[in-house]
Amino acid sequence: MKPVAFEYERPRTIDAALDLLGAESNSKILAGGQTLGPMLNLRLVQPGLLIDITRIPELVSVSDEGDALKIGACVTHAAIEDARVEDHSNGYLRRVASGIAYRAVRTRGTLGGSLSHADPAADWLSALLVLKAELEITGLDGSRRVVLKNFVRGAMETDLSPRELLIAVHVPRSEKTARHGYYKICRKTGEFADAIGAVSFDPGSGAFCMVAAGGSEQPVTFESPENLFSQGDPLDPDSFDMPMAMDALREAGIEADNYELQIRAVAMSRAMQDAMSP
Amino acid sequence: MTRIALTVNGTKVTREVTPRTNLADFLREELLLTGTHIGCEHGICGACTVVVDGEIARSCITYAVTCDGAEVRTIENFDEDTLMAKLRQAFSEEHALQCGYCTPGMLVAARDLIRRGEARDEESIRIGMSGNLCRCTGYMGIVSAVAKVAGAYSEKAEPNAATRTLGPAPGPDAPDGFATEKPASARPAKAVKAEAAAPVLSSQRSANVQTGEVTQEGKFTKLTQTITVNHPREDVWRYMADIEKVATCMPGVALDGPPQEGHVDGRMLVKLGPISADLAGEADVTRIENEWRGIIEGKGRDARSASLASGRVEYQLAEAEGGAATQMSVSMAYSLAGPLAQFSRGAIVRDLVSRLAGAFAQNLETRLSGRESDTAPAALDAGSLVFSVLWDHIKGFISKLLGRGSD
Repeated sequence: MKPVAFEYERPRTIDAALDLLGAESNSKILAGGQTLGPMLNLRLVQPGLLIDITRIPELVSVSDEGDALKIGACVTHAAIEDARVEDHSNGYLRRVASGIAYRAVRTRGTLGGSLSHADPAADWLSALLVLKAELEITGLDGSRRVVLKNFVRGAMETDLSPRELLIAVHVPRSEKTARHGYYKICRKTGEFADAIGAVSFDPGSGAFCMVAAGGSEQPVTFESPENLFSQGDPLDPDSFDMPMAMDALREAGIEADNYELQIRAVAMSRAMQDAMSP
Repeated sequence: MTRIALTVNGTKVTREVTPRTNLADFLREELLLTGTHIGCEHGICGACTVVVDGEIARSCITYAVTCDGAEVRTIENFDEDTLMAKLRQAFSEEHALQCGYCTPGMLVAARDLIRRGEARDEESIRIGMSGNLCRCTGYMGIVSAVAKVAGAYSEKAEPNAATRTLGPAPGPDAPDGFATEKPASARPAKAVKAEAAAPVLSSQRSANVQTGEVTQEGKFTKLTQTITVNHPREDVWRYMADIEKVATCMPGVALDGPPQEGHVDGRMLVKLGPISADLAGEADVTRIENEWRGIIEGKGRDARSASLASGRVEYQLAEAEGGAATQMSVSMAYSLAGPLAQFSRGAIVRDLVSRLAGAFAQNLETRLSGRESDTAPAALDAGSLVFSVLWDHIKGFISKLLGRGSD
């Protein structure tokens, strides 16, 4: 229950962090350590070097970019929960943040850490997919931006190369008329979710996005209310059609039994209710 | 060893620590502050909850070296705290403890919950305290003790909210006592070991791979898969006879040398998130010519985690689409021993196996067509599908042990 011996570096700049990443092949980035810590203690991960990036000022800063909020990768769930990060999502990010694991985990766990880990049962992945978040990634060969949907390749697998660093998440600013909903089904509060539903739509512009995730495969995204609502009207949560949604999930390639499909559909339906609640 | 300087319970402390020393061990063994208890030691039980720069944290998964420059408060430091005094009394009156092992963590977490104004009613208290486990009380006494104190508490103070970092404490502005014996600039450039390329798997499920039911029989987990390739059975069968060639179709696999009478030694590197395992092993391949059937039995060991994997893969080729294509039915059974073997979660199997098998089918298809594939060498015959299923175990193991949401 003790980690293997590793070395520890604490770069103060992004460039210094990238140099360290390039110099040691068996290195791991440490942000809040709320997933990596247990893995280290269990010796599932045995790095030669841990690179602590929590003291790089850019990574714990938040800036307003007009149509989006740029949130540094090391911003904690608790900072969002406590509204120390400006709310530009009609309260949605705060609601999601406050439901992640437990307070003692949220105070250290980070947005960027969660996304880079890409556990399909984790909250931010599904929650930010419906908001069309973009990730800012930098490496020794330069910087790039990638939309979250293209970032995730599968369960715990991302587009991030071992020599790259996720530095910020760009979350588009929500229109005042936009509604977002989120719901997860867990057997115990704070555990990894068995199913997640997330939805975002704007009655003004007609924009719609819904995500369903289970505990194992990457989340499924629906860009249109078609095939999910019996009346085709996403404004009416009662018209969300569970059997239709289960068919749509099956068609999207989810190979799961009826129970697993159903809890995903229930999570979607409750996310819809969450979005409609005042 | 790394030198760190931090404040613990109001006293400045400077010590040399190894980076792997967690904060709980540091407090207990270096500073003899044994009020902080270690329960699960991987961030589940909450017994080790302490306060770091005003926020509660789990000291078993927070390393002491990361608290360099921080202010840490443990249960020993709340004698003068009026809210904690009320909680202590309420815990006693309401029978909120029996053996007392979880109590330091319970008290620290309860004080934080009340202070943040989140202990509004029974439901919010139960949710707010759900990160702290108690084996004795059944929680009734704990919930009523917290409710009792919260009901009489009206202040809601966040004195340092504006100055706190948005990241994990202590953040970029903390004073730095940190120094290593070797400065970072003097770090010797390590010889980079030739790395086997980890499999890069497409997010797209291959349409020609189907995964069936996953079942458990004794210590063996069994599953079946059907792979369709667009080549006649004769060609596929001939190709499958060449173990070395087949090995190159499977991401992450490298053989140590040519097979000797159906016996082959090799290794497979698999990565999942931050975990990587290098399984060294051997396999025996048997082919039953007149039945279009092959059997591979293999076992492998990851030296670092000392985990063992063993498995059996059986494949059968059948003609499909009037002879133009071949349907390969694969059935697998595997078992694990060692640290990675304790848990299993069936659901993730489909995703991982589908992707690995998809990559295999695609590579096989490419090779059969006489084109070269640019993917890294790898192997079905070395039992790699079996190894890929290992990740089900690892993932299930992690989620059960972490038992909670995202980081």
